[in-house]
Amino acid sequence: MTAWWDAMWGIIRRDAILFVSYRSQLVAQFLGPLFSITLFYYISHVLTARSIHSPGGYFGFVIVGLVIVQILTISMGVMPVTVRQELVSGTIERFLVSAHGPINGILGTMLFPLLNALFSGMLMLTLATVIFGLPLAGTAVLAIPVALLGTLAFMPFAFFLVALVMAFKQASSATQFIVAGVAIVGGLYFPITVLPGWIRWMSDVQPFTPATDLLRHLLVNTPMAHPAAVELLKLVGFVAVLLPAGMLLLRASIRYGQRSGTIAEY
Amino acid sequence: MPAPPLAPTSAATGSPVLELDDLYHRWKGPKPPVLDEVSLTLRAGEVTWIGGRNGTGKTTLLRLAAGILLAQRGSVRIGELTPSSKRGLYRRQIGFLSAGDRGLQARMRVSQQLDYWGRLAYVPRERRGAVVADTLQRFGLEELAARRVDRMSMGQRQRIRLAMAFLHEPRVLLLDEPRNSLDDDGYELLSAQIELATARGATVLWCSPRGEDRVIEYDTGYTLNEGRLERVE
Repeated sequence: MTAWWDAMWGIIRRDAILFVSYRSQLVAQFLGPLFSITLFYYISHVLTARSIHSPGGYFGFVIVGLVIVQILTISMGVMPVTVRQELVSGTIERFLVSAHGPINGILGTMLFPLLNALFSGMLMLTLATVIFGLPLAGTAVLAIPVALLGTLAFMPFAFFLVALVMAFKQASSATQFIVAGVAIVGGLYFPITVLPGWIRWMSDVQPFTPATDLLRHLLVNTPMAHPAAVELLKLVGFVAVLLPAGMLLLRASIRYGQRSGTIAEY
Repeated sequence: MPAPPLAPTSAATGSPVLELDDLYHRWKGPKPPVLDEVSLTLRAGEVTWIGGRNGTGKTTLLRLAAGILLAQRGSVRIGELTPSSKRGLYRRQIGFLSAGDRGLQARMRVSQQLDYWGRLAYVPRERRGAVVADTLQRFGLEELAARRVDRMSMGQRQRIRLAMAFLHEPRVLLLDEPRNSLDDDGYELLSAQIELATARGATVLWCSPRGEDRVIEYDTGYTLNEGRLERVE
């Protein structure tokens, strides 16, 4: 097991080295969230919405959605791109001939973007609190385990995108489709109660809605549509079903590539 | 002082290590199979050379032997290990060098690159530093250890790629055009490392275009032509 952890740490360290070697990325990752928080801070000044019951008004409501979009964009956007780069540069071949193996290698490749995304989300909340006076709830610290659980629930979607890259070499349009779709049906920018009935069922069949509701409640004390225990149970259920399914899909895509020979293509 | 071997091999010289039986592979489209019932046994302490024109399937054969591709028909095994079952253990026996200059993390330093590969190859933590230092020395990379890979020449990159193939002291070395971009010193280093590897019982499969057989030393030679291996006498 030590060797497994050493290899995982090696991949995280590799990605961290590559990330900081492009210094402009560091600056962009700080400025991007700052600009979007500023934008929504002023939008919230001109909005009065009866359907939002957050103590911090629309700004308090949307900030949690922004954090989740940021996490999704960095994790889901970066993961398939990173795996595609590995295919193009031939470094994926290293995983295929290593003791660590391709599945572990790809999982390892997903860790740095994930850690980076979580860090970026925390940075956004800090900026919103310190600069724009977001009133964080006393339960905010409980959002950490919920965010980790939510991350596990998001991971299968990333597995799906990476499986697409392994099988078909591209997934950028699918990434945009998923992030935009989640923003609509997950209630990231507005409450799902404003959605028309024919689409609202989609809010109940994916893990983003309960994760967003729970995080919003714990971070800024927004009232919940359902009891917290029910939302938590839903989230655990999604993780239990989707995570193994995502892993199987990823494994199948690699086997398909190895069998057909397309694993060596890019 | 060189680090002691990671995986000492007990195989007697000449005993089978990697066995390829009736391998068949055909790419999509109306083309003949690139490999048609190819059988080959690589033996401990020996160097096997396979040559052939461009596009005859040498790289496909190496990739099948490495477990990168899975055989459509036929089998690949090292003792009881195969790329499909006990695949983690199978991969630990393999040292692979692909053709070209790919497979390096461009913005990492040479020592970081080797440490990274040592981790992926499950070189034990307590030995990894010594193994990396030893490999740097064996491939003449000590002075380049702190330099970034993307700032190096093709020949220097090839040395790093070779160092990665040899670092974990595998039983089977699969080398696709290993002389690529190497100068005379680099080729001497490679020959010396192949000699050391075969002396400890490893087997080497060297693939390259025809003509290279006139300048390299090998025990058994084949050419791959229309999906079949023909022995070079």
